[in-house]
Amino acid sequence: MSEVIATNQTILVVGGGISGLTAALEAAECGKQVILLEKSPSVGGRVSQLHKYFPKLCVPSCGLEIQYRRLKANKNVRLLTMAEVTQISGEAGNFTVNVKVAPRYVNENCTACGECEKAVGAEFDDEFNYGMKKRKGAYLVSNMAYPQRYVIDPRIVATDDGAKAKAACKYNAVDLEMAEQNLSLNVGAVVWATGWKPYDAAKIQPYGYDRYSNVISNVEFERMLDPFGPTGGKIVRPSDGHAPKNIAFIQCAGSRDQNHLKHCSRICCMATLKQTTYVKEQLGDNCKSTVYYIDIRAIDRIDDFHRKVKEDPNVTFVKSKVANIVAGSGDNVVLKGVDTEGYNRYANEHDLVVLATGMESTVPAGVLPAGIVINEHNFIDLDSDCGIYGAGCSSDALDVNRAAQNATAAALRAIQVVNRVAGQEG
Amino acid sequence: MADMKIGAYICQGCGIGDRVDTAQLASVAKREGKAAIAKEHEFLCNAEGVKMIQDDIANEGVNHVVIAACSRRAKTEAFSFDGVCISRANLREGVIWVRPDTDEARETTQEMADDYVRMACAETKYQKMPEASGEQGLTRHLLIVGGGISGMTAALEAAKTGYKVDLVEKTGKLGGVAAEMFKKYPDKAPYNVLADNTTSAMIEAVNANGNITVHLNTSVTKTEGAPGRFTVSLATESGASKDVVVGAIIQATGFTQYDMGKLPELGGGKSPDVMDQLAFEKMVKANGGAIKKADGSEAKNVVFVQCAGQRSEQPGHLPYCSGHCCMTSIKQARYVKEAGGDATVIFDDLRTPGADGEDVYRGGQEAGVAFSKGKVSSVEAAGKGLKVNYTDKILAEDSTIDADIVVLATGMVPNSGPNPYVKLDLEMAEKDGNADLVAKLKAEVEKAPPSILNLMYRQGTDVPHLKHGFTDSHFICFPYETRRTGIYTAGPVRRPMDAHQAIEDATGATLKAIQACENAAIGRAAHPRSGDLSFPSFRKEGCTQCKRCTVECPFGAINEDEKGYPQYNEARCRRCGTCMGACPVRVISFENYSVETVGQQLKAVDMPDEFSEKPRLLVLACENDAYPALDMAGMTRQEYSAFARIIPVRCLGSVNTIWITDALNSGYDGVMLMGCQKGDNYQCHFVKGSEIAHIRMSKIDDTLTQLNLEKERVQTYEVSIADIQRIPQIINDMEKLIGEIGMSPFKF
Amino acid sequence: MSDMNQAMVQKYRSNFLKEVEANVEEGTWVKMCMQCGVCSGSCPLGPHWEHPQQELFMMIRAGKREEVLSSSSMWMCTSCYNCIARCPRGLPITHIMHGLASYAKRLGLAPKNQPTSKFGDIFWDSIAKNGRVNELKIGVSLYFMNGFSQGIKNALASRELGMAMMKTKRMSPTEYFGGHKCKDLSGIAKMLKKAKEFEAEHITKFGE
Repeated sequence: MSEVIATNQTILVVGGGISGLTAALEAAECGKQVILLEKSPSVGGRVSQLHKYFPKLCVPSCGLEIQYRRLKANKNVRLLTMAEVTQISGEAGNFTVNVKVAPRYVNENCTACGECEKAVGAEFDDEFNYGMKKRKGAYLVSNMAYPQRYVIDPRIVATDDGAKAKAACKYNAVDLEMAEQNLSLNVGAVVWATGWKPYDAAKIQPYGYDRYSNVISNVEFERMLDPFGPTGGKIVRPSDGHAPKNIAFIQCAGSRDQNHLKHCSRICCMATLKQTTYVKEQLGDNCKSTVYYIDIRAIDRIDDFHRKVKEDPNVTFVKSKVANIVAGSGDNVVLKGVDTEGYNRYANEHDLVVLATGMESTVPAGVLPAGIVINEHNFIDLDSDCGIYGAGCSSDALDVNRAAQNATAAALRAIQVVNRVAGQEG
Repeated sequence: MADMKIGAYICQGCGIGDRVDTAQLASVAKREGKAAIAKEHEFLCNAEGVKMIQDDIANEGVNHVVIAACSRRAKTEAFSFDGVCISRANLREGVIWVRPDTDEARETTQEMADDYVRMACAETKYQKMPEASGEQGLTRHLLIVGGGISGMTAALEAAKTGYKVDLVEKTGKLGGVAAEMFKKYPDKAPYNVLADNTTSAMIEAVNANGNITVHLNTSVTKTEGAPGRFTVSLATESGASKDVVVGAIIQATGFTQYDMGKLPELGGGKSPDVMDQLAFEKMVKANGGAIKKADGSEAKNVVFVQCAGQRSEQPGHLPYCSGHCCMTSIKQARYVKEAGGDATVIFDDLRTPGADGEDVYRGGQEAGVAFSKGKVSSVEAAGKGLKVNYTDKILAEDSTIDADIVVLATGMVPNSGPNPYVKLDLEMAEKDGNADLVAKLKAEVEKAPPSILNLMYRQGTDVPHLKHGFTDSHFICFPYETRRTGIYTAGPVRRPMDAHQAIEDATGATLKAIQACENAAIGRAAHPRSGDLSFPSFRKEGCTQCKRCTVECPFGAINEDEKGYPQYNEARCRRCGTCMGACPVRVISFENYSVETVGQQLKAVDMPDEFSEKPRLLVLACENDAYPALDMAGMTRQEYSAFARIIPVRCLGSVNTIWITDALNSGYDGVMLMGCQKGDNYQCHFVKGSEIAHIRMSKIDDTLTQLNLEKERVQTYEVSIADIQRIPQIINDMEKLIGEIGMSPFKF
Repeated sequence: MSDMNQAMVQKYRSNFLKEVEANVEEGTWVKMCMQCGVCSGSCPLGPHWEHPQQELFMMIRAGKREEVLSSSSMWMCTSCYNCIARCPRGLPITHIMHGLASYAKRLGLAPKNQPTSKFGDIFWDSIAKNGRVNELKIGVSLYFMNGFSQGIKNALASRELGMAMMKTKRMSPTEYFGGHKCKDLSGIAKMLKKAKEFEAEHITKFGE
């Protein structure tokens, strides 16, 4: 790895999802020096795992393609993948950031030709597909992966497969000797954009996510729509691979709930409405969707999307937080609860249940310096002079549009800090 | 610039060397492509390969580089050479990865590769290095229109970043709606408490800031120029006027509360004790927290009716949700509780999203605000008070609740200027003689609001509307993708939002405005072709003043001079090439993207004769969606016809029909245009590129008829970057179709 | 009792929610319900509730005083705590149900001969008198709650269970005549008296 040059006029952006990419590029296109860190082997984050965005139903990779092109073209941004911040100390204008860079075991010689992948045998759960599929021990994260460079799973490095991968590479790109690196960066301001993870659905005990194969999470449902995903783009029941006929979507699965996440995750209502359109598009009249909800939060001008879905005769809305799920006939399950609009008790059998799991912030404990306030929902509070700014879902549960907007604002705050430093030094 | 010297570098790696004869490619590059240097390399993107190219640039005077290797999307870091034109022949994703490795396929695969080398050489031959025009300097100065919380935030943030600001406010004071608030929600967790209104402190900060000049009672009478060099005329009510020069503009003109007079069934306008949220806020503020009826007596019971005239398809109602009203009603209901009264919020869906929202909802409940899911049917006078009739959706029964005051949560109506496209559409309708449409559009023009920016743009005075009068970006991932470069809208004029979001939004917009100034100064394009230095120029002597370019530019970048010649404004231009595609006399070009750079590529393809059974399909593919999808088709080894020749284009809008005519005349058997989704839900980042291409191609039928060719030979498709399997299928279908209708007779 | 009811009606004329908040154990939580219905759906006896928990909360807010207090619904609660465990807002629903039932009873509005209510009375009488529960007497009293012939029918229906219990010495017919008592009956009586004083104090305090 060539040397990473950073000064206290450099902006560090942590997280290469849509928020981090936005913050990094917007700052860089203002002429600022930016280091962008991403923990995984590819940037793109959660949005790269989505089939479509609501409410336009456009494809996330379209926007990512633009972002990657901006990234490739802009020499102000230095991207480090597989890099994780372990500690930040100091103050606005002068932070010391400790970074741990995990070995990729593949260097920049890689042409993404794919020969190493063919050579290795071992397979592992594919993180990109939430473990719904296997991937090889040498792999490219996805078709859109950027950097377009392979990764060797550390679990094969010391095995025959590791040697096979190395032998298969004609370009000396596989480097099994690569070791973890520790960097210390001096930066002026930090944009923290490590995003969110889906709330662990297994913790919602009454819904039996870990007991019933046909109870899945909304992020898993999303992966089913990818033609290169675990089901080849087909909406199917995990138990038998058949197309479902009667899907239940359960809202607030882990959100707005003091037993789980106290906050409203904002996106899940729209995400479910969007997913009902997938069902309609792929299965037409052969599949019904039922949405169990507390409040449908299709906020502001996208409410018309909500109304459009409501007009679909194959989609039913039930105002109810589902109480529990029990086994039904065959692999079906039965949802029990009360429709609170007029007290209607139900026990509805469905052949697939999608849990609209909430957004859990990934802001870590003990990494940011004292004085940076992480609130009870684990989001970073805004303090305009502190030099570390939460962006996107590190600041609140946000949809893509608001995350990008918020990340743009965070980038300006960071610029103000490095400008101040430049003014003092210049 | 020195004489052109083309260096062609052919990679043998990733299986290219095994699958095609690279020596032959080198010879094609030299003989046909006129490359002075043509070298093969077994691993071109490694340090040694790159150095070989760099050495030739440094020592041999190579200034046009052809990289025949992988896709232009791959290995960009390695193949990035300053100061030279680069063209990429896509032999990996575009040839060997989409063709089977079989003996039968070998010949056609080689032909593909040969052609891509010919095309890359042809392209670079007609490319020049773009250089900034120097049309504008660096102007670190912003104009902000609107002195509410969004505008003041933008002003303060810009000043903090070292920019000067002229802040223009129509009324006699700063603060806007935010200043009217009795209390607000805190900026930080926990959100379940109320905080004091800090707007007055913000106004003081604005007034005290040496970088900010405030213009009260002022409006914008004229805006001319482009990012980096806008000249804006300001006029005060008293008649004084002043010109300021700014680099970029933020419009933060806020919203107007929806007129509750349109809701008589809810008592709007019928009783002074039925009020909208803003009136209630003002009343509470004026009374220092006491809740008083119009007659001055204390109000004990206040009912809040959510979604009043909103989320409704009824004519005259707002079809959208204003987003903030649930939060606002909860805040106001808390005023009532604090004053010792009772408050009930009647809602359909309680929309308090995010971390702050749910805190606010709980806070309201803790304070004793009653919430009822229901639908209000009417509000009527009852004795001295009011009666709210509603359906309780939980208890499933009709119910009535007495109230001293009823607050209607009516929505936000954006304070936008007139939508410029209504006037432009009217212009077109008048030209077409469409009387019905003319009447309809005329009526719309008449009731349009007065202009806010008074842009002296060929395409109208203001920022285009997206939907319902809001000036939002059409794109999910790019909230600031404006259609008027260097002019950003922020706050509730962009989309419905609360004060907290407006502050965030204005901060983001400030960055974009600053970025626009910085980029304009160095001639760099704004998003989405950010960094592009090329810009359109035209041969004046060839121009027929047809105005197609000035009308079709999706960004209103082109003006007309007195004689009707186009005036390009580099910093307003987004470099999509729609003007180039529009020009019937083909006088518009970019340094590195022109009628020739594409036209010569398609002509460079070797055309087998009519009896060869080797048709040629020209594919013009949007570089952002269709082309990456084709790359990924290669990566995932989807096979497609060896007869396709793919040329990426900046946007389908840049496709000039001459390319189609040339292709047909050169003997292509089919021409395929692949762009993005068009229509209301368009996905073209140049707004109308795909749509315009569809329209232009619908007119190409005449040409086909003249040439006695079947219409099916030219087709336009809407595709997305995710159509990795579909696009190869479309190409294969075209090959099949050609098989059915036969080869083109125009092969010479 | 009905005097108290009248007094409460007067006192909280316009606002049943306030009455509940002031007089019902954990009543202040009622306002926190967001009508998701997970409690109602989670109740194992749910189908037997005329008005499920979340609906009761809405009815309280809507001022349906008579309907709520005279309802048998909250008497259905078996204290399984499913609702509390699942309530996303942390409402102590079980306690509120018991609080409502107890308040209704205090006001004399609880439904007559509601089995849970009746069981409570019999249980209390037994334990207050003897310092311990006489299971046989409670059983017999409950069987004959609705008349002699119904009582015989009830007894016959459970006769196998009864015989089995006698065989395994879990029940002795002699218990019906007197039965066990605790040693310090007067101590128990004193204790209960004191408890009643506390309760009265508590109610007065709560009621204000």
